[in-house]
Amino acid sequence: MIAELRNIEKSFGRFKALKGITFSVGENERIALLGPNGSGKTTTVRIISGQIRPTGGEVRVFGKKRIDEEVKKKLGVVSHNTFLYEDLTAYENMKFFAGLYEVGESRIRELLEEFGLWKRRHDLVRNYSRGMKQRLSIARALLNEPELLILDEPTTGLDVEGRTRLFETLSSYTSAMIFTTHNLQEAEMVCERTLLIKDGRVVYDGKSENLEEIYREVME
Amino acid sequence: MKFLKIAIKDLKTEFRTKGTVNFLFLFAFLSIMLFSATVEKPEPALLWIVFIFAGMLGYSRAFLREVETGTLEALKISPVSPSSVLFGKILYNSVIMLMLEAFVIPVFMAVFNTYPKNLILAVAVLTAGNLAFVVVSSSLSVLVIKSRARELLLPILLFPVVFPVIISTVQAFSMAVSGNLDGIQGPVSVILGFSASMLAVGYLTIDYAFVE
Repeated sequence: MIAELRNIEKSFGRFKALKGITFSVGENERIALLGPNGSGKTTTVRIISGQIRPTGGEVRVFGKKRIDEEVKKKLGVVSHNTFLYEDLTAYENMKFFAGLYEVGESRIRELLEEFGLWKRRHDLVRNYSRGMKQRLSIARALLNEPELLILDEPTTGLDVEGRTRLFETLSSYTSAMIFTTHNLQEAEMVCERTLLIKDGRVVYDGKSENLEEIYREVME
Repeated sequence: MKFLKIAIKDLKTEFRTKGTVNFLFLFAFLSIMLFSATVEKPEPALLWIVFIFAGMLGYSRAFLREVETGTLEALKISPVSPSSVLFGKILYNSVIMLMLEAFVIPVFMAVFNTYPKNLILAVAVLTAGNLAFVVVSSSLSVLVIKSRARELLLPILLFPVVFPVIISTVQAFSMAVSGNLDGIQGPVSVILGFSASMLAVGYLTIDYAFVE
């Protein structure tokens, strides 16, 4: 099992963001976390990636309770926050993160070429368009060839071309994936399994088929 | 050696934007000029006023910048230990601090036309005191980064904690300047002991402070 969450709870002060989330992600499985804004999708993936700790329940990623360096080496995270240093060039950003992941420089070139950024690798990230930043952010997340890729609303701010490119990349990606979105079509397109999250609880866990109907039934 | 990569990244960013360095140097220069116009006899404590206020405003920037740009989250998802992040920031701030010293000490000596009787010891004491200040401010920055009023909170927390270092450094520095070194071991031991214990406290607490 890649990731297992049992009865996960998370509170921010008096606000309970998660009220007992339970699900697991198997090898090479792609799951979508679907729900409206504020339902708890981002909090859930932030717990899996080790950015925050749950206040209750148990999380295991690659069999480990503690999301330490060893676990993080196998994770890749893409978010609406690009996680990039704007005052460094694209290449400097990639080199810095490659150093943290202990990945060789040949991988940087491979990814920058794949995402069409090689020619502009010496430009400061602050001069990139939103779409280019997001492409670079995805390239950064794939540096370590992650065994679990977490995508937290990765299409936010992307134009049509950017979205198409992203989905092309994801279709060639074969490892496990957690994809959070509030877009039904995106969930159906990318993942075979969908979890509907409402008010910090999983209200549906099943195939990514007829989601529009299920969504209307469960959420209203 | 990941802390080294973090320090190099921060220095690269700083030398490109010069946001902190320009501010620190300008603040230090203006303070010395103001003192020279109003104070007749230079006291060693004056030099420390420059370092305290410049450092208090400048050293916390290393962590705050990561919070403001959202890149602290990038470090949290990367395979790097929180202690490496802390040591990287301490190393980065130490380099900035040494640059500030290299600028402030000659300017102070030239403006006030004063020369310490034991220059090497005076610089060594000042560097040890500044290093302790860097360790404390970097460690406390981690504790306040989650607070909304972090920029206000840091100086409030910093002053009482760093007070023993300030007193000891001023005492030791005054002795080095006057050439009377009797009993200098006392304040120097306080500075070194304080630095070591704050480093240990930072190392032991950062895991809890780093992740929400």
